[in-house]
Amino acid sequence: MGRLRTKGKAGAAKNYMTRSAAVKKLQCSLADFRRLCILKGIFPREPRSRKKANKGSSAPTSFYYTKDIAYLAHEPILKKLREHKAFAKKLSRALGRGEWSSAKSLEENKPVYRLDHIIKERYPTFIDAVRDIDDALCMVFLFASLPSNSRLPPELVENCARLAAEWQLYVIHSRALRKVFLSIKGVYYQAEVMDQTVTWLVPYQFTQNVPADVDIRVMLTFLELYQTLLSFVFFKLYTDAGLVYPPPLDTKKDENAAGVNAFSLQDNSRQISGKPTHTTASSQITGKLVKQTIKSIAANSEVDSEDVEMAISDSAADADEDFTPIPSSKDQTTVALPTLRTLSTLPQTLSTDLFSPYTFFLSRETPRPIFEFVVRSFGGRIGWPPSSGAGSPFDELDPSITHVIIDRPPAKKEESSEERELRSRRKYVQPQWIVDCINAGKILLEEPYSQGKILPPHLSPFGEHDGAYIPASAEVAPAEGEEGSDDGTVEEDQAHRDALDTVMDAVTEEPTSLRTAELVAEAAGVDFGSFEATVKQAAKKIGKKADAEADRGESDMNKMMMSNKQRKLYEKVKYSREKKDAEVRLFLQPFAKLMAHTQLSKNNFK
Amino acid sequence: MANGLGRKSLKRKQEDEDDGAFEQELRPNGTLEMLSDEEDDEDVSSDDGQLDAFPEIVDESDTDESEEDEGEEEEEEEKSEDEDEDEDEDESEAESDDSLHVFPKAKTVVSDITKQPKVVYPEIEPDYDSDSSTEEDPNRVGNIPMHWYDDLPHIGYDINGQKVLRPARGDELDKFLATVDDSSAWTSAFDKNTQMDKPLTSEELDIIRRLYAGENPDAGYDPYEPMTEWFTGKGKEEVMPLSGALQPKRRFIPSKWEKQKVMKIVRAIRQGRILPSKPKSTSKFEPYAIWSDPPSNHPPPLPAPKPPLPTNAESYNPPEEYLPTEEERKAWEAQDPEDRERDFLPQKYSSLRLVPAYDQFVKERFNRQLDLYLAPRVQRVKLNIDPESLIPKLPSPNSLKPFPNYKSLQFLHPSSRVRCISVSPDGAWVVSGDEDGNVSLWEIMVGREVKRWKFKGKVGALAWCPRIDVCYFAVGIEDTIHFLIPANIDSAILSLTQSVLAPTTLPPAPASPSPVKWTTPSSNTWSLDTPVLTIDLPASSGTPNHFCWHRKGDYLSSVCTGGVHGGVWIHQVTRRHSQAPFKKIKGSVQTVLFHPLKPHFFVATQQYVRIYNLSEQKLVKTLIPGIKWISSMDVHPSGDHLIVGGYDRKLCWFDLELSEKPYKVLRYHSRAIRSLQFHPTYPLFASSSDDGSIQVFHSRVYNDLMTDPLIVPLKILRGHKVVDGLGVLQIRWCNKHPWLVSAAADSSVAVWCS
Repeated sequence: MGRLRTKGKAGAAKNYMTRSAAVKKLQCSLADFRRLCILKGIFPREPRSRKKANKGSSAPTSFYYTKDIAYLAHEPILKKLREHKAFAKKLSRALGRGEWSSAKSLEENKPVYRLDHIIKERYPTFIDAVRDIDDALCMVFLFASLPSNSRLPPELVENCARLAAEWQLYVIHSRALRKVFLSIKGVYYQAEVMDQTVTWLVPYQFTQNVPADVDIRVMLTFLELYQTLLSFVFFKLYTDAGLVYPPPLDTKKDENAAGVNAFSLQDNSRQISGKPTHTTASSQITGKLVKQTIKSIAANSEVDSEDVEMAISDSAADADEDFTPIPSSKDQTTVALPTLRTLSTLPQTLSTDLFSPYTFFLSRETPRPIFEFVVRSFGGRIGWPPSSGAGSPFDELDPSITHVIIDRPPAKKEESSEERELRSRRKYVQPQWIVDCINAGKILLEEPYSQGKILPPHLSPFGEHDGAYIPASAEVAPAEGEEGSDDGTVEEDQAHRDALDTVMDAVTEEPTSLRTAELVAEAAGVDFGSFEATVKQAAKKIGKKADAEADRGESDMNKMMMSNKQRKLYEKVKYSREKKDAEVRLFLQPFAKLMAHTQLSKNNFK
Repeated sequence: MANGLGRKSLKRKQEDEDDGAFEQELRPNGTLEMLSDEEDDEDVSSDDGQLDAFPEIVDESDTDESEEDEGEEEEEEEKSEDEDEDEDEDESEAESDDSLHVFPKAKTVVSDITKQPKVVYPEIEPDYDSDSSTEEDPNRVGNIPMHWYDDLPHIGYDINGQKVLRPARGDELDKFLATVDDSSAWTSAFDKNTQMDKPLTSEELDIIRRLYAGENPDAGYDPYEPMTEWFTGKGKEEVMPLSGALQPKRRFIPSKWEKQKVMKIVRAIRQGRILPSKPKSTSKFEPYAIWSDPPSNHPPPLPAPKPPLPTNAESYNPPEEYLPTEEERKAWEAQDPEDRERDFLPQKYSSLRLVPAYDQFVKERFNRQLDLYLAPRVQRVKLNIDPESLIPKLPSPNSLKPFPNYKSLQFLHPSSRVRCISVSPDGAWVVSGDEDGNVSLWEIMVGREVKRWKFKGKVGALAWCPRIDVCYFAVGIEDTIHFLIPANIDSAILSLTQSVLAPTTLPPAPASPSPVKWTTPSSNTWSLDTPVLTIDLPASSGTPNHFCWHRKGDYLSSVCTGGVHGGVWIHQVTRRHSQAPFKKIKGSVQTVLFHPLKPHFFVATQQYVRIYNLSEQKLVKTLIPGIKWISSMDVHPSGDHLIVGGYDRKLCWFDLELSEKPYKVLRYHSRAIRSLQFHPTYPLFASSSDDGSIQVFHSRVYNDLMTDPLIVPLKILRGHKVVDGLGVLQIRWCNKHPWLVSAAADSSVAVWCS
């Protein structure tokens, strides 16, 4: 006889633990538990049977793996949290007694925890970390734009802004940006770093306020982790790229709202590292250092070659400046020798220096941080008026400017001759042009985007899910050429097609009306041969339709023989398909939809 | 004295009436000169006797005569309060009249004996009004608690032992009038000792006012008295020590232990064990190459799922068709935020500079974080299957022809539902019976009615004898079974049939008398209209509504469900004998069947199907179809398979070689299954239902035990109407053709041909 089995000693009852049991076991407060869970990345699990996991109770609780909790119990941070609790008690006692000096010394020796080991645990390799920085970037960009208050110390906001700027600098430097999407929520960017796609969302430049129903403590805990994670990731990215991390900040420029330009990228090889941590880091990994230097040399040589390319393309652009620019640099890629690196990233190199032949100037109403970042990451030069911040490399009157990004309706005023001359030499485009060019991977025609024009729709570069409706404007590339060459023939064709359609209908509906259809066709000037062909086609269609109907009837009958389980699954799949189709169908009622919309817009105008 | 008192009271009453209102203001001034002399008298008299017997009465001078009857107990209570007032008034009244003083003036003299000063009070002169004891005490009952007499008509006993009656109090009206007349009535209270209303004095009123105001009731109490300093303050300090003992040595030499402790700390500091002030942890967080050392072989946790990427609808300038209409917008706004498919409404802005801030930005980030640390993550396999692949692949019905697929003709009964039909063994004739008692015989090919019989009561069941050499059929009408010979048959067959049904020499009657009677009319009365043979079942056994012939055509089994006995009978035609195979049956029998090959008998009760071996007289098997109420069943010609239909729409296929559970359960009819039958020769079976449809199946049964039977749905035959919730009531196959005959509640019988 085997051992007696006791209930609740094995299986789900032992593997899962409710949250309150976990808090009890860890002997910490719920807030500390939450902090631990956030930092360690522990989340609740759904047991297969809630009843079995919760001693027969089906009360709504969240469950954690018992092993996860045991893992938390060994966490050094938990110890630090307990120490902090004791510290808080001591401090409040000292303050209550008015013992200021002891309070001060307590405050100085406040227990602080570090998150390095957690970063290492959660992301054992660098790729893991890069894969998971999406949320971190979103948070950092959000907090960089939040106003500081009593809960948000200014240092925190400053640090977030610094991290955001460092990331942008790196993306610009490595030309990693791939896609940009202007949405109503903010700007989505997608970059490819270490072969991982990183997508982040940056809010538009307005003051965000934290709503009352948001628990800022949770966000701050996440932010704490994210800041640490990002600084480690950036350190690695910068050092791998042969740059100094952190990039030195020019405070004077920063005060003049230079933004990203306040930081200057410095080459690691040139720098005499004054910081002990750097030296220790590099001394620890000598092999790595060698690799880095090799890489940096390679990067330098590549930059040089890029410069050469740029010069070539510049000259090319100069040559045909008056014409529509050649869509992107296909010829350039053939010029550049395909090294191993370029081969591996061939589809990307096509578009990374998309804007390199051009020089842009931002008009004052366009958001500078977005377009400076975007244009520079695609190799363009960009300038801006002093009202958008300091640090513009050139002013408005610079003759090299090819495009002006302008977002206001054209003003009706007299222009001086030199203004007119300037205007004739430059292209005035709306900001969407930049983004659409990037997403299309080529330079689009400026014409539909020029100042004051109604813009073509801006579509998501990330695409839709499978089987979703794809708008017609997605297929029509604005770069295509001649249209409506000979209108007369088109109209004629249309008439013929209509006549044949009626024939088709007549055949499918009733054979007796074939005669009238023939007459109609004759009247429309369709020759008899095509008429015959159509009739045959229609007849075939009818036959096919009947066959299909029979098939459907058969399969309907065969459904009887399905088992219950199969039938349920079948119905579920059918239902979801039907739902998707209905969604698409909704979009495909353009007439109804457009009518409704025009009605709406009319009402709005009233 | 009584006169005097009476006078006084009279005077006082007058006075009360005169200036009752001013009384209180006047009195404290002590200027009520009019009455002073009389009061004096009283004062004096009272002074003499009890020092403090009636002090306030004396002073107040506005009380009635009866007030002087106040008991001592009350006096004592009031004494403490009154005394200081007395003193006040003493002072005030001292000017007007010294003799008003309650306490006689004392003199201080030097004692002759002790040579000490002593206080000497004047002698009390026992003159006429010096002793109040001479006055009649108005309280004639003595100093007793008055509540003893609360419930009695008297208030006590006087000195002579006579009852002192309670003075009249007057009714409520009097009281009211008194309050109207007397403006001071609201400041008076009932006094039990005197049994009178006694106005409260101004002191008492003052006490009440103070209590009401929450002050100290004692008017003379000063809460803010200046502190008297007895032991502290200037000039009262203790200068000298309390004891004259010498100071101990430890008070003025340095402590050895303290020095040791300090030295310990000093040594520790010198040795560097205690840092005097730690270098402040200014250590700002510095990143380093954390991924430089090789990663542990611990598998990394699964990365959190990324949020879905934005679609076209989220664009600041989406195509027009993405914009919501007014109804969509309203529907979205009316929805709960959790139920919304999208968390935003698509919007279109003509240019980028017009795009406002997104107000839900922080909230959305927060929700994402809540998802990250609060939501359980489940790995789900995304089903990417073609639903059509789930439908079983069966051979096409076209390859399984012939089967009935169209209605070739319809035979109409006059009015009521056609309950039962039967097809002749040669497949040329059909008899159908309806609820009015009509039994029609008609040709299956053309639907021409050849003969009609009319019976009383509804026809429950019809069954054609399966023998080829004879030709007759059984009709079940209330409590009886008639055997009829159809018209237009061959004479040889007719004579044989008649000899079978009514032999000239009757078989010997069974030993035990049976409740079932077999009767044959005399041969000269025979006609086509009357039955040749009639079996009378026991009275009130109900209409037989199910017949089943044994394949050899000698035994006929009948089932009556409506009756009292609910009996199953097996009739043997050759022996003209009926027997009930079961003494007692659990549950009500729905249908019975003879096994086509073995001497087995199937009995279907409401929920179970039991198989009996008739020759061995024992139960072979019980099948559990899991149907709530079995309506019909049929056995495959091979005898190995059984189908059972139920009123709960289920059809169960049993392989009798296998278990007692069904091999396959089908549910395709939308209403109850009424009837089903296997085709005797073709691999077909059909079922009919109350939804008015007939479903035809191909059912191929293989001889080897390993292959499962093949069931293919072939055709749904529709064409009968549903009347009163009843559809197709019975179906029968034609023996030699793949034809189906169906009887329906819409009083029609249809023939379905291939």
